[in-house]
This record gives sequence, C-alpha cells and structure tokens, in this order.
Amino acid sequence: MKELIQLNIRHKLFNKGTLSILNNFQLSVLSGDKIAVMGESGVGKTSLLNILGLIDSDYEGEYTLFQDEAKSLTSKQRAVIRNKNIGFVLQENSLIDSLSIEENIKLPLLYTNEPNKKEIEEHFQLITHKMDIEPLLAKKPLECSGGQRSRAAIARAILMKPDIILADEPTASLDEKNKLRVLELLDDINENYGSTIITVTHDRSVADHHDRIIEMERED
Amino acid sequence: MKDLIFFIKRIFLKRWILVLGMLLIIFLANYLTFTASRSLISTYQGNQENKILDQDGLFISNLDPDVEQNFDAITIEETQKVYDYLESHYEYAIDTYGFVADIPNTEDMEVSVRYINEQAYDLRDIKLSEGKQITFQDLNTVKPVLIGAGLAKEYPVGSVIEMIDPVTHQPTKLKVNGILEKNASRSNIYALNSKNYLNYSIYSPIDEEFIKQSSLDLHVNALNDLILLNSSEKEVNHLKDLIQSTTGLTFNFFSQKENDKFFKDYYMNGLQIISMLTLICFIIATGLAIWNTLISIRLMIKDFTVHLLVGLSYPRLRSILYQYFGIVFFISFSLLTIFVSVNRYSAWYRKDAIFATLGILKLIGMDWMALIIVLLIDMIMGIFIVEFMMRKIKKIPISLGVLT
Repeated sequence: MKELIQLNIRHKLFNKGTLSILNNFQLSVLSGDKIAVMGESGVGKTSLLNILGLIDSDYEGEYTLFQDEAKSLTSKQRAVIRNKNIGFVLQENSLIDSLSIEENIKLPLLYTNEPNKKEIEEHFQLITHKMDIEPLLAKKPLECSGGQRSRAAIARAILMKPDIILADEPTASLDEKNKLRVLELLDDINENYGSTIITVTHDRSVADHHDRIIEMERED
Repeated sequence: MKDLIFFIKRIFLKRWILVLGMLLIIFLANYLTFTASRSLISTYQGNQENKILDQDGLFISNLDPDVEQNFDAITIEETQKVYDYLESHYEYAIDTYGFVADIPNTEDMEVSVRYINEQAYDLRDIKLSEGKQITFQDLNTVKPVLIGAGLAKEYPVGSVIEMIDPVTHQPTKLKVNGILEKNASRSNIYALNSKNYLNYSIYSPIDEEFIKQSSLDLHVNALNDLILLNSSEKEVNHLKDLIQSTTGLTFNFFSQKENDKFFKDYYMNGLQIISMLTLICFIIATGLAIWNTLISIRLMIKDFTVHLLVGLSYPRLRSILYQYFGIVFFISFSLLTIFVSVNRYSAWYRKDAIFATLGILKLIGMDWMALIIVLLIDMIMGIFIVEFMMRKIKKIPISLGVLT
C-alpha cells in the first residue's frame, strides 16, 4: 500500500493567534486505511479534516498529498483534487435543499473535466441502485428521512470514485439502524474502491468500525 | 458556462426576492447617478453656450416676477412704440420662440418657429450640418431660413416651405438655406440645465419691417427675451421706464454675470443639494445592496460551501459572481436605457417639437455620457460587491458553513 498522506503540522492558530491547535500533530496515511479521529469538541478534529480536504491552507507545517506539497497547489488545482480525489461525507443536512436528490448526487459533475462522463453515469446508476436511492432521485432532501439523506450524501461523495473519503460526524443524527447502514456503506466503499476513509466522530462504536483510532487531546 | 447557468437557475433564482431586491436597489442607484450626471452635463453645456452673453454693455430683459403684470391691457400700438424707440436708440437682439406653424411633415410634429434678428444671429454661433448661414438683406419675398435636422429630409437645402406665418398670419414662403446640426439646442439663460431642441424648429430671420407687421404675441414675447447690446446702465434704466410707462409692463434688465449669480445662488445651490442627496441616496443604495448581499450569503452559504467541497474553486466562484452581477447590472442598465429612451420618445408621442430629439433610441450625446458614467460606477459597485462577497465567503469555515 502506498503512502497517500504525510502530515506534519506544527500548529494552527485561531482567534488572531491566541488559540493554537494541532500542535506538533503528525499523521501518516496509507492507501486503503480506515481511520477514526476522536476527541472532545474544540480539539481540532474538523480543522484537521479541512486541512486534509485542501479547504484550509492557513497552518504552520507540511502536508504532502499524492506526493505533492499541498501549499504549493493553486486554488484551481486544489478544487480539481477535491472534485476527483476527495469525497466529503458530512452530516445528513449537507445536501442542497433546493436540488433534487439526483441533482445533489451529480453535483460534482458540474465541475469535472473528466472525458468519460458515460462511465460516471454508469457508476451513478450502480451506486444509487446499491444504496437503494433510486426511488428517491426525484425527491427534494426535505422530503426524505435522515437515513435517506445520509445515503444520498455518501453517494455524492463516492460518485467520482475518490481515493480519500473524509467523513465529519456522518452518523451524528441517525438512529441505530441507519447508523449501521452508513457504516456498512463506508466499509463497502473501502473494500470495493480501495478508498481511504478518515472519519471524525464522537461515537466510540463508530470509531470501532475503523482499523485505526486517533485520539486527539487538548494541550493545556 | 454550465456552472454559471446552474448557479443562476438553481441558487440565485431560488431566492428570487433577493435577486429582485438587488435589481431594484441597483436600478435606483443607477437612476440617481444618471439623473445627477445628466443634469450636471447639461448645466455645463448651458454654461458654455451662454458664456457669449457675458459681455460688457449686454443686458438681458426679464419680466419682473414681483410685479403683477396686466397683459390684457397692452395694445399693439403701445408695443410698437417701444420697438420704434428701440430701433432708433439701441442695438438689440431678439431670439424668441413659442410660435407653432402648420408645416406638413411625416412625423406630424408641430413645427416651432423661432424668430431671430440680425444682432441675435451674430451673437450666437449657430452651427449647420449642411447649407449656408442666412442673411438679413431681403426678407420681403422669399425668406431664407434655417431648419432643424428633423425636417431636413422633407425640406432639403434649396426647397421652399409655404406656411401661414404664426405672427403675421400671412401666407409666407421660406427658402431652406441651411440645416441645423442634429439635436441643436438652446439652453435657458436662467436654468442652464434646461434646453429646447431645435430638430423641428425653423429659424426665421426678422427685421424692423417684420416686427411692424407682427402680432402682439411676438411683440410681448420678444420683449421677454430682449438683449440689449453695447448699452449703459443709464440707457437700460431709461428703456425700462419707457416700457413701463408705455405698456405698463415692468421688466428688469440683468447682465449675464448677474444672471449667473442668480443661477449660482438659487439654481446651483439647488443642484448642489440634489447632487448631495444623490450621493447620500447612492451610498444608502450601495449599503442596501451590501446588506442584501450579506443576507444572500447567509441564505446561500450552505449551497456555496457544498459546491466548494465538490470541486468549485474560489477563482471560479469569483468568476461566476462577476458574471452573475454583470448580468444583474446589465439588466438594470438596460432598464435605465429603456426608461430614458421612453422618456425621450414621449416628446414624439406628444408631438412636442421643443423636446423631440434624434438619434439611436432617441438618446442624445449627454444621455450617452451620463449612461457611460453610470456604467463606470456600476463597474466599481460590482467589483466592490463581488470582492466583498468573496471576502465574506472565504472567511466562513466550510464545514461549519454547511451545518448552519
């Protein structure tokens, strides 16, 4: 398995430099890893995902992704990587309410230069069938249950067959049944696509589904 | 392009009330800017045009607004006495208007006849697009005239116009000597931003003989616009007394410097207040546009964030916002252009020769200049709004943005 991510953060500052998080934080991730990140609120879990997802580059340190130093990437290059190589799974309300479920899932296609759109369309058919979303495609998110919306959010994240899935509390507002279903889907993606999964969670049972658990602690 | 269309259809128009609100605010800002700019341009033009009147010994008559005048009591014999005296003792210029002649034209426009004597003609720099300037030698048979550009097709240089003269009420033949420049105008001496357009006017030369044959209307009207040349205060006061004792009318005579002072004291002051109010309204409108933008961001932040997560870049978002606001500003600008054009066309519907203008959409030079100013201010406002929006969007943590 090749190394996908090499992260070496000295610190990330907040509140005009008065608050420092992710102090001397190091992380090495291999292709296909399944990692859970735990820790109390404010410790920097979401900030870590923002950095890993190339959303935030305002930190002290180095981040190598696919052999490239993240800070050397242009805004456009970062956007292309987010589109092609990274899938974000957020809480069930991360769908755009004014769009149908199908439009939400196909949103990454709006920004892709992928020549083989037919293949992506076939993949769309496959995942919506597999995730039991087909009957929901014409509906708006608010017409769906929390579990259905979570599945749609995961479908959007994996549409482009990304190398990395970054999940931020993907099961936070779900009941036990739907929580298990989401976790099964993430396992399935990891096994079938070889996608690396990094999940931020407060839930120990969710973290236990991963191969590695990183506990983040606040430095006093 | 597909992302722009997507953003417009699926994000912005979903909150159409905000789009409509923004459009109305921008239109208001544009309209205020346009009105103030055009008024300033027109005032500047009027000022330039009337600079020629700023001469030593030149006095312009003005009916005293503080005195109740009795026009019904005036007889033509009385006014003729005044003109006889003027003729023998003064050098005076007459350029009077407001007389409508029935001259057939395809636009069915009421043609306005301006009567001008030689002194007034020499005073004014009347520019022609074709033909020759008029002379005042022989006005008894076929009168040489200048006509507005709107009449030029039907009455080209050399053609003869037959009409019943509106002040002598006699059949008259006019020979077209020259065509006035398109949208030639004459500014009001006391309100420099106000103009009469001459596209459907005829400049008809007059002399002492013509005045004798004219009706009371011309006599009284011409006294209102009378300009005395190379005169002294004493001569002016003497004429003032003569007119009053002969006709009962009270006139004031002012130099153009005094008129300018009046303009600056009253009108310019008003214009400055209007300009200040416009600036304040414009700042309020810009503030409202920003407030509207902030609401838009707050309502659309989840949409923007999700798009950024799935592959939208900040440069692309900036480009989309510029294109979107470009469209909004273009709509507002087009509405303003249509609005101004409809306003100009209304003079045509009313068959009002004094305000009928010629040109694309009936817009004239100062309209286009004011529209260019609006365009420049729109560009500045657009850049400000988009950059402000980008700054706000960039400040919001993406994942948090989605969750709120």
